[in-house]
Amino acid sequence: MAEAPPSPIDLLVIGAGPAGARAALRAQACGLEVLLVDENSDAGGQVWRPLPPGFTRAAGVRSSAEAMQGDALRDELSGSGIRCLFGHKVWNVGGSLRTDLIGPEGVVSWQPRALLVATGTTERVVPFAGWTLPGIIGLAAATILLKSQNMLPGRRTVVAGSGPLLMAVASGILKAGGDVAAVLDLASRADWLQTLPSLASRPDLLWQGVQWKALLGRAGVPLLYRHGIASVEALGNEFRVHAQQVDMTGAPVAHAAPVVFEADAVAVGHGLVPGTDVTRLLRARHRYEAARGGWIADADAQGRTSIAGLYVAGDGAGIAGAAAAGAHGELAAVACAHDLGRLTAEAHARERNRLLAQWRKPARFGRAMAGLMALREGAVAGIAPDTVVCRCEDVTRAEIDAAARDGARDMNQLKAWTRCGMGPCQGRTCGDVAGALLAAHVGNREAVGCFTGRAPLRPVSLAEVAGDYTYADIPIPKAAPL
Amino acid sequence: MPSLRADQAVQRGPAVRFVADGCAVDAFEGESVAAALFAAGWRELRRSPRDNAPRGMFCLMGSCQECVVWVGAHKLPACQVPAAAGLEIESLDFREQRLG
Amino acid sequence: MSGNARSSTACDAVVVGGGVMGCSTALHLAQGGMRVALVDRGPLCREASGVNAGTLTLHMTRAALVPYAMRAWRMWMDAEKWLGMGVLATPVPGLTLAFTEAECELVELRARARREYGAPIEVISPARAREIEPGVHPGLLKAGYCDIDGFASAYLTGRAFRHALTAAGVDVIENTPVEGIDSGDAGHVVRFGAAASRPPLQATRVVLAGGVWIENMLAWLGVQIPIKVLVNQLIITERVRPVMRTVLSVANGLLSLKQFANGTVLIGGGWQGEGDRERGGVEARPENLVGNMRLAAYAVPALAEARIARIWLGLEAETADAMPIIGDVPGVPRAYVVGSAHSGYTSGPFMGRIMAQHILGQQPELPLFDPARLLGMPMPGA
Repeated sequence: MAEAPPSPIDLLVIGAGPAGARAALRAQACGLEVLLVDENSDAGGQVWRPLPPGFTRAAGVRSSAEAMQGDALRDELSGSGIRCLFGHKVWNVGGSLRTDLIGPEGVVSWQPRALLVATGTTERVVPFAGWTLPGIIGLAAATILLKSQNMLPGRRTVVAGSGPLLMAVASGILKAGGDVAAVLDLASRADWLQTLPSLASRPDLLWQGVQWKALLGRAGVPLLYRHGIASVEALGNEFRVHAQQVDMTGAPVAHAAPVVFEADAVAVGHGLVPGTDVTRLLRARHRYEAARGGWIADADAQGRTSIAGLYVAGDGAGIAGAAAAGAHGELAAVACAHDLGRLTAEAHARERNRLLAQWRKPARFGRAMAGLMALREGAVAGIAPDTVVCRCEDVTRAEIDAAARDGARDMNQLKAWTRCGMGPCQGRTCGDVAGALLAAHVGNREAVGCFTGRAPLRPVSLAEVAGDYTYADIPIPKAAPL
Repeated sequence: MPSLRADQAVQRGPAVRFVADGCAVDAFEGESVAAALFAAGWRELRRSPRDNAPRGMFCLMGSCQECVVWVGAHKLPACQVPAAAGLEIESLDFREQRLG
Repeated sequence: MSGNARSSTACDAVVVGGGVMGCSTALHLAQGGMRVALVDRGPLCREASGVNAGTLTLHMTRAALVPYAMRAWRMWMDAEKWLGMGVLATPVPGLTLAFTEAECELVELRARARREYGAPIEVISPARAREIEPGVHPGLLKAGYCDIDGFASAYLTGRAFRHALTAAGVDVIENTPVEGIDSGDAGHVVRFGAAASRPPLQATRVVLAGGVWIENMLAWLGVQIPIKVLVNQLIITERVRPVMRTVLSVANGLLSLKQFANGTVLIGGGWQGEGDRERGGVEARPENLVGNMRLAAYAVPALAEARIARIWLGLEAETADAMPIIGDVPGVPRAYVVGSAHSGYTSGPFMGRIMAQHILGQQPELPLFDPARLLGMPMPGA
């Protein structure tokens, strides 16, 4: 593998979203030598995705607050001189925190003294009949399509699921000139009202929510609380979406009249799941917290995990929202600077208290939103037996239940018996829902655990790892006994 | 078919043409291949392994691996491949048929 | 229940260790009429037996173990009959490849040694090898060919055995670590950890089938025999188009390759990672990943484009003379040990059968491997 350049790195930050980028800037300010890596072409993560290179904002159009925040962060980063490796995927991390990357020039490894994982979240979609049909995408996916690619998911879209992304996507579609056939929200109006106190510090977001609702109202878009998708049928290039009434657990209400919508696209999402690939690979301790998205690394308020030198920050450490992520990243950075001996205890305490104060209010809001997005057990219970749960391997709910009845008690045994989680996505897409299904049999969510973290963190080819070589280059250990 | 591209807020980069499964696809430089194919009406990208069910882009963030395509010798999520002039993309089935 | 030293269950035999050796021994003992309990600190077949490459080859099996491997091959292929559930055992020919002159000599040597033990291995030309396996590297110089070869999906083994064991009336006790064994004239008392809140198990006979942990188990009985731990790296690709149709190895013993029906390709060969018996497999060694992948992509060039889906580790046991440890525990009456067959999965079901035959007082079909020979034998390189 290629040699890393000689200058030693104090802190390697994986993920240049709000948490990681702010952490890198703060760490640099503390005098640390920082390397920031991200698989995307620029900083911003999911929430502040840059426009594709070559795109510019149209003249006379006011950028959204989010777009301005993202642009400001990218400007600050490029002006800081921090070494950034964009377009690089982390495929392996060793126990020494040695980080193996794959980029345009091939594989490269870096050995930092400390590692901060700020890899954000992936989307959770609770399966329903027809969810794998082309044209059905996630809610976060629809957000990326609208904000980054400036593209509609379809001419007429059903927007469904739970959480703040619902309204963001629905209004984004309308503003981009598309139609929204319906918005189906697992939450009730009361669930939303309960989040109002947390919005007290964010009148801007409250106002935005009001404006979005008004926009939907003016467009005559049906907004159905306590409704989910029962099934989607493909009719040529169109969809027939069967919506169903659900209770507070997300379970279908018996004998409720189904509602049908015609659309050519569906954007559906049931919350975000913290990305724990790296921390699971390193065997850090984890705990299950449904209200924060599911399994998260067991970390203190500053992101220190059970492994010395390994830190987590941002939504990947437990959902608290983008606004809180920056302060959380900085908390981890100053903790690291202190732990590496670059910040005195007094200076660290000052910084920590300042940043904690900064973090509290946005985190309160973010966690309220996380509550709306948490996995609802009734929605999982409502998955029909012949519905695919593991997309990579076509494993159905019936097969998962059969394995549980046969005695599978943990996720890895489930994986061995059904192939659920053995595909290229490594269980990121199905893991949370499969875990809930297994836990329903076992009686305890923590007891079923999660899939053992394994390299590669993202697929890499043999050629990429092997590089150029001749037969003589293959290091041959001792020959096998006769 | 009316375009899925929403140009109210942006000025796209130069128009480019790339090739997917031997067919020309018109796009704008820098768009993800997944989005460009989607906008061109190409929603099915591959078939699932056991049920042979049609699949297309899903998460758009390089995680789910549903939108993988061949770009030369590399198999990559199309949502992470920027469209460029002269790019040659092959869907998994197309390449498998070509190689026999 | 706790604090009560009097055991509440008595059986004819308790087997400690639920890998393929332990499972097969327990099953055959039960079928021979004994009341059997099988204990494992985790679920059945989740250590080496569930994570190995599933290679059912004679090429890489120790020459003297060929007769055992051939009988086990039949058992794996017929697994559905005697287990009620299969492990997708697939018979395909096996080729062992030579890319250098030194490897050509090895191919001849190894083929000859195995033929002496009954393996139908012939040395063939590269042209003939390419007819059998068109995807092999054009620089192939020579190959060993055997039509008794194949593979299984190791991860299915636990589920398959669980069915059969339960049906045979074996008391399957999973997720229950054993803390120690007290052996005396009255028999053996198997003690569990406090967390198990399970009374000790009283048994007439005890069988140690703990793989790399046989060393610890023998120590419970006061017997010191070192067992070496190999930490094998394994790599599986995503599904790829058909690129090979045999089981491939290289004459130097450092590659095993197979493509399953679902298109995934499993790459092994015993390249070592980091780990030990206390922590298990910890992580892969990057230089050994590179070496293993280079060898694989060299042997079958079409593999170069394949993406890796997963890398994992498995612990394999080896004795001081690299032969199995199967027989009576020296100095401890009615205590037995079965394991460390090196490529133990290949021969596992048959090793369990002959262990059971011995315990049942029958003449084993093939000779066992006396553990006493290992007393005082130094581990090479120790």
